[in-house]
Amino acid sequence: MNWTRRTILLFAMLLPLLVACGNSSTDSPGNEYGSAPVAESPAAAPASDGVDRTKLASELYFYNWSDYIDPETLELFEQEYGVRVIYDTYDANEDMIAKVRAGNSGYDIVVPSDYAVQTMVDEELVQPLDKSLLTNLGAMSQNYLGIYFDPENRYSVPYLLGLTGIAYNREFFPNGVDSWSALFDPANLSAIQGKFSMLEDERETPGAALKFLGQSLNTTDPATLRQAQDLLIAQKPFLSAYNSSDVNRKLASGEYLIAHAWSGQAMQARNGLGDEFSGNPAIDFVIPKEGGTIWMDNLVILNDSPNAYTAHVFINFLMRPEIAARNAGYVGYITPNAAAVPLLPQEVQDLYAAGFAPNEELLKRLEWIERSAETVAFTDLWTAVKGE
Amino acid sequence: MRLYWPSEQGSAASSSCKRTKEECRLAFDLIERTRVQRDRRNLMALLLPGLLWLLLFFALPLLIILLYSFIVSGPRGNLIWQATVGNYTDLFTRAIYLNAYLRSIWISLLTTLICLLLGYPLALFIVRQPPHVRTLLLFLVLIPFWTNFLVRIYAWQIILANNGLINSSLRALGFAPIQLLNTEGATLIGLVYGDLPFMVLPLYAAIDRFDFTLMEAAADLGASRRQAFLRVMVPLTMPGIVAGSVLVFIPTLGQFVVSELLGGAKVDYLGNLIQRLFLRSNPPNWPLGSAMAIVMMLLLLAFILWYFRISREEDR
Amino acid sequence: MSQTANRVTTPAIERGRLTWSGVSLSLHAVLIYLFLYLPILVLIIFSFTRDAFGVRWTGFTLDWYVRLFNDERLMGASVNTLLVASVSTLVSTILGTLMAMAMERYQFRGREGVEALIYLPVVVPEIVMAVALLAFSALVFDLINALTGQVLRRNLTTVTIAHIAFNMSFVVVVVRTSLRHFDRRLEEAAADLGADSWQTFWRVTFPLILPGIIGGALMAFTLSLDDFVISLFLSGPGTSLLPVEVYSRVRRAITPEINAISTLMLLLSITLVLLSQLLQRRR
Repeated sequence: MNWTRRTILLFAMLLPLLVACGNSSTDSPGNEYGSAPVAESPAAAPASDGVDRTKLASELYFYNWSDYIDPETLELFEQEYGVRVIYDTYDANEDMIAKVRAGNSGYDIVVPSDYAVQTMVDEELVQPLDKSLLTNLGAMSQNYLGIYFDPENRYSVPYLLGLTGIAYNREFFPNGVDSWSALFDPANLSAIQGKFSMLEDERETPGAALKFLGQSLNTTDPATLRQAQDLLIAQKPFLSAYNSSDVNRKLASGEYLIAHAWSGQAMQARNGLGDEFSGNPAIDFVIPKEGGTIWMDNLVILNDSPNAYTAHVFINFLMRPEIAARNAGYVGYITPNAAAVPLLPQEVQDLYAAGFAPNEELLKRLEWIERSAETVAFTDLWTAVKGE
Repeated sequence: MRLYWPSEQGSAASSSCKRTKEECRLAFDLIERTRVQRDRRNLMALLLPGLLWLLLFFALPLLIILLYSFIVSGPRGNLIWQATVGNYTDLFTRAIYLNAYLRSIWISLLTTLICLLLGYPLALFIVRQPPHVRTLLLFLVLIPFWTNFLVRIYAWQIILANNGLINSSLRALGFAPIQLLNTEGATLIGLVYGDLPFMVLPLYAAIDRFDFTLMEAAADLGASRRQAFLRVMVPLTMPGIVAGSVLVFIPTLGQFVVSELLGGAKVDYLGNLIQRLFLRSNPPNWPLGSAMAIVMMLLLLAFILWYFRISREEDR
Repeated sequence: MSQTANRVTTPAIERGRLTWSGVSLSLHAVLIYLFLYLPILVLIIFSFTRDAFGVRWTGFTLDWYVRLFNDERLMGASVNTLLVASVSTLVSTILGTLMAMAMERYQFRGREGVEALIYLPVVVPEIVMAVALLAFSALVFDLINALTGQVLRRNLTTVTIAHIAFNMSFVVVVVRTSLRHFDRRLEEAAADLGADSWQTFWRVTFPLILPGIIGGALMAFTLSLDDFVISLFLSGPGTSLLPVEVYSRVRRAITPEINAISTLMLLLSITLVLLSQLLQRRR
């Protein structure tokens, strides 16, 4: 007797789910149970912009950092070229590389950071770019072309870049902040106990300590690293959290008074992010006098991409000054596109001038984080800090 | 077509035997042989589909990890196919790794114990309700778990934060706020919260099968409630306790989200460390991460098999 | 002697006397349910707040629900997740129950090995399984490509296959518990009364171990809904799953929109429970 009731119970539980599933294929795109065939289909009328529409694919697979593009950009591209952009996101270079390295990832374009470009080039995961299709390359600032990881930009073009420094609340620091000592000097820590965060990153955070010590953040000298480790361990009891993800929100809401942060997070904290949260105008960002980090994310086309032509068209589209300005304005990170800067909203341009973006003087104080066989030492350092 | 315990087959066959010894043995053999064949067929039908699935989509992929643990990590996080046991010697000789193991085992034990202490009375309470209430209560334990884990952990952030629900209430009542979020206590709350149903479900299943008249029998024989509980009920519901403890202990040992979001990422447990070695280190070190995971799995597996053998022996 | 008999009588006996332990047991249960539902309440309340941070109450709005329904990504991911969770729960419950019966009722060579294999998925950290399956799928795809020239990609099927392997073990663990104290004489009695083994299973065994099966299925469903790492690694382009989508959104800023989708998922599960209860009552 009892069991029939319970069988019905079980089916009753599953039935609506199955019904929901039945509808799935009509509801929304991109949830087919099988993989979608990618066909290069001829499209509408040829245009005068040098793009051969007959060579465009119907779909383009774009794998980008989360929150790293104005969604309307993708719609604009689709309207103009009739190519649907299928967009997925990741949160770390290593997530992306792991999937790409396994092969058959299905993506056409990915956005590795500086050192990750080097890794992907070394492992032949990306294909050389056809510069004749990238007519907007001239709009890029020379400051950001030919960086160490791809000296001739054979494989990559810059997408967005950022700095790592200190974001702080001006209401609590009326005289401003100009040194890493605000986060490392024991005399300063008790006042901000439980109200500041450091990035959860095994290179950035020891790097900040190294900068405070007046060292290069790429040093692997054991004695110096030991000093940096001790500094971090001494700082830890005062720390609210190691946090790389929602620093923007916690700065804006006042939960953090000061934080080790990326420039884009600081800008989002100040201006808000889209219509997701509103900003706090008291948030400021500084590269301390001892120096800070610069990094850059770049567009590359994967080696096994079947849609290389369309990918080039898309990359060129993203390099259009008005499109680059739209993305940089939305995302809050810095556009390497010189022609895009004057098109940015005035308040963003003001922030660029106020230290949220590098100028000639600032560039001298900034350092790229490089990876080598020796920098494995940072993994041990970070493990030791986290083990205390 | 009846399913028998292997030991029962013999007795069933021999009891039907009333002729001479020789005839009897032949008959016995025949019956035994067909039984064994039939049993074998039944066993295969039951076992094979799942077993094959596990072998193909689990054991085989895991072999790859075993391989990884014996090779060298390259400077870019790539794999260099060169045999080494260096990853294992690192794990067993360096304090930073040994401590990570000890820390994780400690917090997992603590979580398991708390879940057991909270879960057992709850399961007991549920079993003692009338049937339809019982199903409802059981579902009520599970419903929260049908919303995303991460979202629920974030809800705990809202509750525990410095300007969160608890501290604002404390402030409104005139008390000083306390640091709750980003502490080990917060991690523990999150872990217990996340694992409790995995304790309650097997406990419920075990207590549901428990014959409560045994408690009365024990009382009739002069046992106190406490004695009856410890000597009768706990041993007889042991399979549930074991299953629940295993289901809680293991995922806790490998967790990384809770300590990151509620503990402020300040302390690395094994799960954090493995996660980091695979995906967050620059460069990632898959071989070392693999070795770390293999050692952890072997420890857990040995522990489980031993525990199940004990509980099985107690069963009989 | 029948299981159902003592199930009905015992609570009746217990309810008769209002014992101290009975009261404290109820109080304990109330507190635990409060503990379980506090974050859920917070989540539901803050899906209606005007505050875009989703952490303060600044007034009532339904905007987040409207936004949610216009959010194709989130809706698509929800459907994908429900699909994967349902299919993997169904398959893993069937395979897991069969395996549990084999393990509880038969002695055979290599039993220890099978036992270890069953518990392996329970002990493997998710990230390790994800990486292993990623590498394995790459190998298999390469092999298929070499043999047939077909180019395969990871998609919802690969995620589902992985979830089944992962969930099955949990089902086995739970179902075995209810088989452990199963009274075998009931089956023998059924057989003596002329039932074949098929009938015996469906009329006797299955109803009695059903609570265990349902428990295992629910656990599998829960695990599948929440799995993040394996879903991340084994899904293909354009087939994102809810936990992955939520993870990347929630990390930078949880918005009431996320609270809203969680509330809806919750509503769905509560509807299911109520529906099943109603059906049960009507019988």
